[in-house]
Amino acid sequence: MTMAETPSPRTRKLPLRDIVLMVMLGVVFGFLYWALVQAWNLLAVAMGPAGDLAQHVLLGGWLLVAPIAIAIIRRPFVGIIAEVIASLIEVIFLGSPVGPLLIFAAALQGLGSELPFAVTRYRRFGWPVYALSGLLGAGLVFVYSAFRFAWFGQDVLWLRLVLQLASGLLLGGLLAKVIVAALTRTGVLDQFSIVRDARPAAVRRDR
Amino acid sequence: MTADPPLVQTAALTAVYPTGDGVGPLDLTVRPGESVLVLGPSGSGKSTVLRLLHGAVPQAIDAAVEGSVTVAGRRVGEVGVADLADLVGVLAQDPESGVCLPDVADEVAFPLENLAVPADRIGPAVDQALARAGASALRDRATAQLSGGELQRVALAAAIAAEPRLLLLDEPTSMLDAAGIDAVRAAIAGARAELGAATVLVEHRLDELAGERSDGLPERWVVLGRDGRVRSDGPPERLTVEHLRELVRQGCWLPVDLELTALGLTWDGLAALADDHQYDGRPDGANGAAERPGIAGPSTGSGRGQISSGRGRSGSGEVSPGRGETVRARGVTVGHRGRVVLTDLDLELRPGELVALVGANGSGKSTLLRCLAGLERPIAGTVTGPRAGLVFQNPEHQFAATTVRAELAHGLPDPDPAAIEAALHRFGLAGLAEHNPYRLSGGQQRRLSLAAMLLHDRPALLADEPGFGLDRTATITALRTLQDTARAGRAVLFSSHDLRAVAGYADRVLVLGRGRLLADTTPWRLLRDSALLAEAGLRPPRLVRRLTEQLTGPDQLRAVLRRLDGLTRRLETGTGVPR
Amino acid sequence: MSSWLERRNPTVKLAVLTAVSLGTLFLFDPAPLLALYLLAVLAVRRAARVRRRTLLAAQVPFLLFGVGLVAVNALSRPGQPLWPEAPVRVTVEGVVIGAALALRGLVIGVLTVGFLASTPPRDLMISLIRNARLSPRYAYAILAGHRMLHAMPGRWATIRAAHAVRGPVRRDGRPRFGPAEFARAAFGLLVASIRSSERVALALESRGLGDGPRTSWRAVPLDRRDAVLAVTVAATFALVIMIPLMITGH
Repeated sequence: MTMAETPSPRTRKLPLRDIVLMVMLGVVFGFLYWALVQAWNLLAVAMGPAGDLAQHVLLGGWLLVAPIAIAIIRRPFVGIIAEVIASLIEVIFLGSPVGPLLIFAAALQGLGSELPFAVTRYRRFGWPVYALSGLLGAGLVFVYSAFRFAWFGQDVLWLRLVLQLASGLLLGGLLAKVIVAALTRTGVLDQFSIVRDARPAAVRRDR
Repeated sequence: MTADPPLVQTAALTAVYPTGDGVGPLDLTVRPGESVLVLGPSGSGKSTVLRLLHGAVPQAIDAAVEGSVTVAGRRVGEVGVADLADLVGVLAQDPESGVCLPDVADEVAFPLENLAVPADRIGPAVDQALARAGASALRDRATAQLSGGELQRVALAAAIAAEPRLLLLDEPTSMLDAAGIDAVRAAIAGARAELGAATVLVEHRLDELAGERSDGLPERWVVLGRDGRVRSDGPPERLTVEHLRELVRQGCWLPVDLELTALGLTWDGLAALADDHQYDGRPDGANGAAERPGIAGPSTGSGRGQISSGRGRSGSGEVSPGRGETVRARGVTVGHRGRVVLTDLDLELRPGELVALVGANGSGKSTLLRCLAGLERPIAGTVTGPRAGLVFQNPEHQFAATTVRAELAHGLPDPDPAAIEAALHRFGLAGLAEHNPYRLSGGQQRRLSLAAMLLHDRPALLADEPGFGLDRTATITALRTLQDTARAGRAVLFSSHDLRAVAGYADRVLVLGRGRLLADTTPWRLLRDSALLAEAGLRPPRLVRRLTEQLTGPDQLRAVLRRLDGLTRRLETGTGVPR
Repeated sequence: MSSWLERRNPTVKLAVLTAVSLGTLFLFDPAPLLALYLLAVLAVRRAARVRRRTLLAAQVPFLLFGVGLVAVNALSRPGQPLWPEAPVRVTVEGVVIGAALALRGLVIGVLTVGFLASTPPRDLMISLIRNARLSPRYAYAILAGHRMLHAMPGRWATIRAAHAVRGPVRRDGRPRFGPAEFARAAFGLLVASIRSSERVALALESRGLGDGPRTSWRAVPLDRRDAVLAVTVAATFALVIMIPLMITGH
């Protein structure tokens, strides 16, 4: 069974199924994140000033959307689009206190997450790519947030960076690969590119 | 009329999924205004036929498609699904995902906007579509507040808004109660009459859809066999007894007249079944063993724990430890996110009894089941008794493991491999032990969730619509399993829309309606009490109504119904375990 | 009777909100930020008719966040100590910067509340299609996401309950819900949602959703008063920045 030629991804628009999937991922992760943060907020307040550091530990969870979307849909820019959609949902539907600036942060997260996949031409989906995706996504948005919240003058800058990169690597990178593999096994992704591109040409249909 | 060109034309149309299942070859012609029913057992590809007609297969759902299909001259393979929206309207099974936008009016206007209808014409068209679908009152509502029946009517309005010439309906009544079915039936008839649209319908609940005057069913039936090939294409009278037998054997639901023909019975002869002991007992063979649940063997259950009291988060209701194995609810008020659904219930589930829970959609059945299982706190009142098992309506919600075997073992404090192996065989899942639970078919998933729950060996078992979406033979198996569980000394409660199942198997029935427990009675008394039936919004199927009139007592009713099931199973024996 | 802001074009409102939010990023001085905040509260109360209680309730998370910001910055920035005798070092610079950051958040927050209170998501999406050339496929997919979001809490509760049947119980008999249970339920939610998203996509497509020419039934107008809104906000912002500069003679 030979792998069929991958069609040139740049020529056709994303099918609606993929767009709705990205929206759905944004909704699910936005909802889960909100549910998790409710519980965490109490902890953060209890931690006092150190509670501000909690955001770095949680950030990785927000990076999940991009690599998962890229792995399933297998098209360029999907990571950025998925993050932006997720942030739109957070701002408009969930009323996030961060406001529309969240969209810029999300775009940066998406860009960072997307780069390792783009550089390997969306063909490699092993542990290193995911790990790098998480690191870059967390790192890029760290720079933006550092400007925004003026972290550069603080003593704890390096601590923040380390926490954020670790969260990005583990939660935003490796966990994404685990989730994608588990989802693929359930068969729920059978209609998406992740499974369809790997089928023999006799069964595949061009749209 | 015969001079009109056909609306839909297929030529040697075949679709094969990557799993190997498929349908075809189809050579169908549908004339404008014609009404077609697609009938067949599970897995025969009925939904695939609908999807082929508007391009969902292969565009949205991957399959190898050969042959051609044209609708009003357009080749479906060459245009996108969206490009057929002016010709074809689709009504899907699940009303929750069939209505996509937050406002009803926007939902119905949506197809018109997509078709670039001038804005000033959209408003009147929306009103007309809503009127035809019987949903005018819902125009300014938000979709989040609507019930299943209301959502289906809105979805139908959206499907007919563009005045399509072909209407595809995929099990439109599967999630509805009697009132909802009436509304959808009337809406479809009205739409057909005013638009002259051709309809292609897939439906299981044929007796309910047929309605009082049996005129709700299409005149032309396309009957598929389990292998996906067309067995018959024409009026139902053309079906031979052999056709009907094969359909029954494959587990297909049939209208009751045809079911009786297949089993070689007549209406008048039914009463005689009550006394005919020839059909008593279970057939021997593999299927006999498949019906006994895995209760023999060492207790691997987690059911010894009790529901004990604790400070609840909501309301003042408590769930406290009890003696014995009876589940008792006293003065229970049950609600849903602040809204009260049922007030002041008193009920008992005693060991050895099979009790049914009936009521219209929204009467609070699922919420009550969760309270009785200790998963939700009642707003007021107490629930005492052992920790019950609860089998949910959607089996996928309960899956917690990555293989079928692991799923069966999940949650057991001390899993016994022998008991798990036995359960695999009894429920026909032996060949699927290493599969991922989500990949199983609907019927297999239901068996899995029931088997997994039974392994926990709880003193009480609750089941939410255990026969939902199952074909005939699988439904019989499920009901017999519940019956055996009750006979083995457990307290069993199941909720159901299927009054035939209730009449045939339940010892007692709890009737919910108007926010309270209307009655705690026997099926026989319920079926003879038309005021109670009306108050609860229930409508028994024709078979049950006729039998209630003809027979003299509950034992006879139960005997006839069970023997009908027995005959069905006997027909089915020899072809292996049903899907 | 709808408020003045409710009748304004959502795209313009979003653009204004974003511009002001971006603008605050360049302000490090608490004083103009405080002025902006007070003006914003006034505007939101009047132009969007947000009730006092709603506004207060919505401000609470920002206040908490802001207090945290002040605390972190006060303690972690080097500079001139505020209380030399205190056991921990609290610096003037830290407090000032912390206050500025906190106020930034409050300004953005209250304006966002005003935006959300005066803009139904449906209007926003339709306006973005017409005025910002957003692809209808994305806009309606996101609007469908709004409905999916409403269904989430119910589905989450059902899945959690379904897992709790066979799950471990605490000593008081209530189901236990720890990290492992959360992960399993979250996965179940993900699978159910992906299945549902496929059906939704097919439904949208069956109704003809595409990028081709389309009409809008109840479109949102764009008119002169939106320009008034944009200009007013811009002028206010500029004034608030410039007045202290003029006063201090920078």
